[in-house]
Amino acid sequence: MSDPLAATLQISGSGLRAQSERLRVVSENLANARSTGETSGDDPYRRKTITFESEFNRATQANLVSVKGVGADKAPFTVEYDPGHPAADENGYVKMPNVNTLLELADMRETNRSYEANLKVMTQAREMVMRHIDLLRN
Amino acid sequence: MEPVFLTKLVSHNNDWLSVRQATIAENIANANTPGFRAKDLEPFTSVVSKTQLAMTATHDTHLGQMMEVSRSSDVEKADSWTVSHSGNSVSLEQEMVKAGEVARDHALNASIAKSFHRMYLAAVKP
Repeated sequence: MSDPLAATLQISGSGLRAQSERLRVVSENLANARSTGETSGDDPYRRKTITFESEFNRATQANLVSVKGVGADKAPFTVEYDPGHPAADENGYVKMPNVNTLLELADMRETNRSYEANLKVMTQAREMVMRHIDLLRN
Repeated sequence: MEPVFLTKLVSHNNDWLSVRQATIAENIANANTPGFRAKDLEPFTSVVSKTQLAMTATHDTHLGQMMEVSRSSDVEKADSWTVSHSGNSVSLEQEMVKAGEVARDHALNASIAKSFHRMYLAAVKP
């Protein structure tokens, strides 16, 4: 098996990658929170979801985390009354994306927290390696 | 007589600590993975009492398999602080506490090894 401290760096690295991918999806949802369709009756932007899975890595003998997939939220769209809008149907209603800004912000905060935790473990593993090197320095 | 016995326990404990650090990293990386159960190692004392019995070699110069022993001792953590709706039992706060313990013990081991080294040097120096 490989050195556990080297494995730590790889594991934390996979965590950082997964969390930044999650932040990308969150920012995509937030940016498109008001993206409607082009023509009458068109579907607006559909909220994206991201799921993680843990996969066993032979080289490090540990469970790394990876992105399982980016899916679509099946929640129904909300409608707003706006007859002048190009995407309004015959009754004057426009379909709005099923993005809840508050939910996305909460998700963003959680992503931030997980990212920080991964970074902290990485820093600490590096400190442990440096402490060993310092022993030789004397 | 075994001259390096003093530092053996220190280095063994350091092996255990680095494996624990890897386990903590694994838990934290999977903090948002649905269904992931947090893991932890067996306490060092129980690992030591086991490996001391198992550490028999056919020749004095053969190296012990410390790493493998402590690696395979991953145990399911039953008393996690939180279990979320998705079945994930990783608590970031708890993992931070454990990481702090590892850092403290590792610093202690490093300074113990350093002072042993100073003692050796004091004995060797004319």
